[in-house]
Amino acid sequence: MPSLFRRKRLMIVLVGFIVLVALIGFSIRDRDSLSTPEKFLQDSIGWMQTVFHKPVSLVDNTIENIQDMFGVYEQNEVLKARLSEYKGVIQENQRLRSEIDELQQTLDKSDSLSDYSPVQATVIARSSDRWFEQMTINKGEEHGVEKDMAVMTSDGLIGKIKSVGAFHSTVQLLSGFDRSNKISAWVVRENQDEAFGLIEGYDDETGRLLLEEIKLDEELKPGDTVISSGLGGVFPSNLRIGTVEEVVNDQFGLTQTAYVEPFADLFDINHVMVVDRTAETVDPEPEQEEEAS
Amino acid sequence: MSRYFIALLCLFFLIMQGMAMSMLPANLVYSDLLMTPHWILIFLLIIAIFYDKDDTYNAVWYGLAFGLLIDVVYTGVLGVYMITYTLIIYTVHGLNKWLHANFFAASLLAVVGVALADTMLYIIYSFVQITSMTWGDYALLRLLPTLAANMIFFILLYPLVKEKVYAWGEEVSNI
Repeated sequence: MPSLFRRKRLMIVLVGFIVLVALIGFSIRDRDSLSTPEKFLQDSIGWMQTVFHKPVSLVDNTIENIQDMFGVYEQNEVLKARLSEYKGVIQENQRLRSEIDELQQTLDKSDSLSDYSPVQATVIARSSDRWFEQMTINKGEEHGVEKDMAVMTSDGLIGKIKSVGAFHSTVQLLSGFDRSNKISAWVVRENQDEAFGLIEGYDDETGRLLLEEIKLDEELKPGDTVISSGLGGVFPSNLRIGTVEEVVNDQFGLTQTAYVEPFADLFDINHVMVVDRTAETVDPEPEQEEEAS
Repeated sequence: MSRYFIALLCLFFLIMQGMAMSMLPANLVYSDLLMTPHWILIFLLIIAIFYDKDDTYNAVWYGLAFGLLIDVVYTGVLGVYMITYTLIIYTVHGLNKWLHANFFAASLLAVVGVALADTMLYIIYSFVQITSMTWGDYALLRLLPTLAANMIFFILLYPLVKEKVYAWGEEVSNI
């Protein structure tokens, strides 16, 4: 009898091990979409999270608002000073915009890589395991969200859609990026052409992105802005990513690597925008949407 | 009846785990220390110690189901939490036979359970290259903070649910 019992336990351990390996192998490969049970579970848990999220975020926001009230006066002074600067910028922006429109009409070219339509979403949960830099948002396939779309806050790019359910989706944050999710990027410099590079990973120790494959003869200064180029085929162009902090030669000395400090805070995120790259201009004024979020 | 209550509580902790990460102050949750909540595991260990008898394995089945839910909702890599929680709860259930069920024994089992579970997660995740931490970094940056944070949760949870869980266990075995 004892030997039979031990054999049964051994069988369970072996079967468990096989199931584990099979499930990991099934889920870790690059899948186009989630399986139906997974979508179902993600959506049902998502709704429950929304129910709990509402009151908790209400309390959270009230506390934040009260804290903000103490700094209102100083903020107001600074903003008033900024406002006069903006008036000039708005005029210049309008002038340039109409000039671009005119030029595009003469060229008969209506769509550009920088056009996108945003889907506003709220973050309802984050992965409890810090090794998985991902979070859940309350918009899914039904709202037009698809895999690999760019996700940003009003500050800048924060990640991309990893998987979608019907009403909820999972966002992979920049801090969880590796070589399998590259972003093609431009470094914008004063009085020079843009320099090309690829965001290829994240440095956990310093919290900075790695911009690699920059040509040796390009000179980058700390403080230069990094934007997406739109040449990767997934993201629109002109999404703000971060600023260059430090430039080093890579280990073989053939290209340069820049350390990029992301604009967006990757930890304290509440409202995000899923960016749908369009061929036609669906939303003529995405900039205003961005400020509103 | 009590089985549904336990499942509901587990679901509540599952939702709260994700909520805590987005709601608690960022400088606490997102410091260099990788604190990971294992609230469901803690609760199921209490179930294994006080609710289950020597020959019932309710907590193990809950571990299987809710481990899989954590995999689906929070990590996307299926099976890892599922197998880990199941195995750890089974082990603790076995160890429980040798100890008296009181606060010190329970907290000792909870520490051992959480430590073993987190280490097992580390081993599996480093095999599939989701993490590339060294053992030294892991022990210092993740294992110790995780143990500390989960023990605080255990000490808060224990007085709230212990009597109730024990009563439920008696109720079920008397039927």
